[in-house]
Amino acid sequence: MNFYEHTLIAKQDLSTPELENIEKKYTDIITKTAGKVIKVEKWGLMNFAKKIKAYNKGFYIHYKFEAENKTLEEIKRKSVIDNSLLRHLTVKYKKLDVETEYIKEKDINEKKK
Amino acid sequence: MKRKNNKFNKRPQNPLNKLSLFQKNDSRFSKKCPLSGKDAPTVDYKNIKLLKRYISDTDKIMPSRITSVSQNKQRKLTSEIKKAKILGFI
Repeated sequence: MNFYEHTLIAKQDLSTPELENIEKKYTDIITKTAGKVIKVEKWGLMNFAKKIKAYNKGFYIHYKFEAENKTLEEIKRKSVIDNSLLRHLTVKYKKLDVETEYIKEKDINEKKK
Repeated sequence: MKRKNNKFNKRPQNPLNKLSLFQKNDSRFSKKCPLSGKDAPTVDYKNIKLLKRYISDTDKIMPSRITSVSQNKQRKLTSEIKKAKILGFI
């Protein structure tokens, strides 16, 4: 068993129930293939530095989990097919740093007020 | 009375103050690595503020001879910057 971090970028024009479905879908994939989700972070809507597939913004979801090689193949296979995702990245770690959060979700409602 | 000859014992600070041409240039460029040591910040692809310091205006990775980052940390920096570019942070 190893520690991994996985980040997804979903498309900008998705509704909130659709985003929750995406988050649930990938936690289910990890738990079904004998993995263990440690933490899920939602970074919210963020601007890209450059355009990705003609999109300027995207929703970020960040997973920290413990799993084996089998789950990684499953996640990669599913996220390549997935139409609502723009990009994804998995990184292997020897030790997971759970406490520090470099990117925090900004409340969009507070900005409007 | 002893005369203090401090003037000749001192090494020249500025290379233009050298006594002769063949004297060694002592004021070499030397600086410690900002990323290694005890309270150094962690190099990670999520730490965007730190990564942006080591990138030029045209999004190129700065050479270590300018930033004086150690060889080991420079290798780590390049890999983390490339990960951040995939996710669209930089």
